[in-house]
Amino acid sequence: MNVFGFLDLYRVIIRKEFAQIRRDKTSLRMMIMLPMVQMILLGYALTTEVKHTPVAVLDHDGGPDSRSLIQAVANNSLFDFQGSAESESALREMLDRGKVKLGIIIPQGFSRQLESATRINPGSGGPVLGLGPEGSGALVQLWVDGQDANSAGVARGYLSAVLNQWAMRHLGARLEASGIRLDQMIPVATDASVLFNPLLKSTWYMVPGIAVILVTMVTALLTGFSIVREKEAGTLEQLMVTPLKPIHVVVGKAVPFFFIGVAELMIALVIAQLKFGVPFRGNYLTLLAFTACYMLSSLGIGIFTSTVARTQQQALFIIWFFLLFFMLLSGFFLPVANMPHWVQMVTLANPVRWFMYVLREMFLKGSGFAELWRQGLYMLAIGGTVFTFAVLKFNRKAA
Amino acid sequence: MMSRARLLTIARKEVRHIFRDWQTLVVVLIMPVMMMFLYGYALNADAKEIPVMIEMPSPAPETRQVADKIDASSLFAVVGTIPAAADPAELFRLHGIKALFRFPAGFARDVRRPGGARVQVLVDGSDPNLGTIIRNAAEPMLLGATLQVLGVQQPKVLDMRTLILYNPEQRSALFFVPGLMAVILLMISALLTSVAIAREKELGTMGQLLVSPLRPLEIIVGKIIPYIFLAAIDGFLILAVGRLAFGVRIAGNPWFLAVCSLVYIFTALAIGLLISTIAKRQQHAMFMAIGATMMPTVLLSGFIFPVVSMPLPLQILSRIIPATYFLEIVRGIILKGVGLRELWTPLAVLLGEGLALTGLAIAKFKVKL
Repeated sequence: MNVFGFLDLYRVIIRKEFAQIRRDKTSLRMMIMLPMVQMILLGYALTTEVKHTPVAVLDHDGGPDSRSLIQAVANNSLFDFQGSAESESALREMLDRGKVKLGIIIPQGFSRQLESATRINPGSGGPVLGLGPEGSGALVQLWVDGQDANSAGVARGYLSAVLNQWAMRHLGARLEASGIRLDQMIPVATDASVLFNPLLKSTWYMVPGIAVILVTMVTALLTGFSIVREKEAGTLEQLMVTPLKPIHVVVGKAVPFFFIGVAELMIALVIAQLKFGVPFRGNYLTLLAFTACYMLSSLGIGIFTSTVARTQQQALFIIWFFLLFFMLLSGFFLPVANMPHWVQMVTLANPVRWFMYVLREMFLKGSGFAELWRQGLYMLAIGGTVFTFAVLKFNRKAA
Repeated sequence: MMSRARLLTIARKEVRHIFRDWQTLVVVLIMPVMMMFLYGYALNADAKEIPVMIEMPSPAPETRQVADKIDASSLFAVVGTIPAAADPAELFRLHGIKALFRFPAGFARDVRRPGGARVQVLVDGSDPNLGTIIRNAAEPMLLGATLQVLGVQQPKVLDMRTLILYNPEQRSALFFVPGLMAVILLMISALLTSVAIAREKELGTMGQLLVSPLRPLEIIVGKIIPYIFLAAIDGFLILAVGRLAFGVRIAGNPWFLAVCSLVYIFTALAIGLLISTIAKRQQHAMFMAIGATMMPTVLLSGFIFPVVSMPLPLQILSRIIPATYFLEIVRGIILKGVGLRELWTPLAVLLGEGLALTGLAIAKFKVKL
């Protein structure tokens, strides 16, 4: 036995695992095909954009101004105009049936109120701002289907932006008739430009997130399954009576699935860039280093599960259970910053949260170690703890 | 005909199986409760205190005051003020800010001139929802703050009054209780049942049961009965936690909700049955159940992600899966308080799908024998 003899045992068991994976052609195909299909499907399905919100109006006023306001909404591609309702109860019925999500009610006297709200106040002389008494805008009622607080909020924001734009245009036109230019009287104009994702595409944000979920799922599930299967078949006990120690078995299981995880991530990177056009602006080697830090956690979860589960079904349920929580609290589709403080504290221990952040920042902003070292340390600390704990538990069970 | 004694025998056997596998039972009972708490507390749609920075080359009093007003708003929190940003993108990377307000050097002078000052706002678009919120909010906020600092009144053309229906306080628990019911009931009815039947096939005990005096249909129905109860318990659990912890009240008729839930469980069981006639091994059943039922339900039913924003093929798929209709019904009853008059279409579709799937499963089951 040479000095590096202890490494031989690792080599033996790793070679065995690779052989086993290679032999199971069906599973191998599934490992490669399934994530690809899921990636493409999810990339299209998981959109947090709020588009085509169905909207109906109830126009009690019927004047040219109210019709022009309705036109502004109907012509906007963010909304699907579903026509006019005859009465308040008819509009309510449309909302009850889920036919529309937004209702606009223009009360009687809208034109009159609008006229007085935009009348030029002769006393004030200069700015527009002396127009009409405060709070005297023309009344418009909005009915919002508030079931889904998230999309209701976004849709309402869009609608008030569209209405405000219309209002400013209307005001501008009125003032111009009196020879006043509105844009000359506004003290500040805003040039907004969007960095990193100029078209604000949902896929650019979600696809890197999906990659994280897929890698986590595949590595944790496969590691867990692979150990539990040996348990079920009784071959794990056979391994234990060989000179191999539990640590060899664990490492032997973890190493091949680490490589498979990296391969999955590469597939995801290719699909993200070629299929969805998401730019990867970071450095691939940096990404590999972060991935290694992260996979300590996902592989550790798989090993830990295998010590608890007796059957593959149990392993599936337990891992699924873990992942659901990790996913929810990762900022995948619900920003961590919006969560209550104590939940944010809990998410500090969530490895998925950190890798999600790292991958998104690398993808879109091209960040590297200089910006992300803190997240890397978090992943290393969590991963080290999870992996050590899982190995210790496995040791105890096997002994 | 089916005999009640024989049905009960096989049901009792299945109950024993369920209790022996306590790990799965614990997950099945605890998961929905924990998810309720997470969803109920963790979700908040409103963005608040978004970290931003301000670039201010010459800090005149007016500029400072406008910046203070941005900081004082509930939407933004100013985490730093700098005289000049050499590389704005690096600020975003390093400090995690979501927007940079760049005031020009002559801001204080320009706001009093005709034509006004121009402020550049850089927005981090990587999270498109947040980016949209910031982009839409920046202009009115700057204008309002500047007008306030200058001491002039803002013109008000429209007076928008919003009435939020069904969920006026915008609590996320109200929205997620129905979605959770759809997912959990499906998981128990389709996934657990199909795996339970596949397990008997895999172990060869199904063959033993078939040569016993039990009729094939009795075996299947007997095996299913405990899972109906389990699903009902879970549904009740979700509603109870929703009521006790989050004050989610059922606005409509609870009995109608119970009937609709049973129809949904029936449809889900039919799916599970169909899967179990195809799958020979537990693992196949698991993957099929997850791939064909769980994933589409979570992703395409409108549980989390709005269906109207998806591409057409996925929207069509969404119109096929039962959970879409069940969600419509449950949300209708719990949140809107509507009844059969408004909900008969989804209920009819659900029932029709259930009958069709059961017919298919029985036909396949007979062929296999």
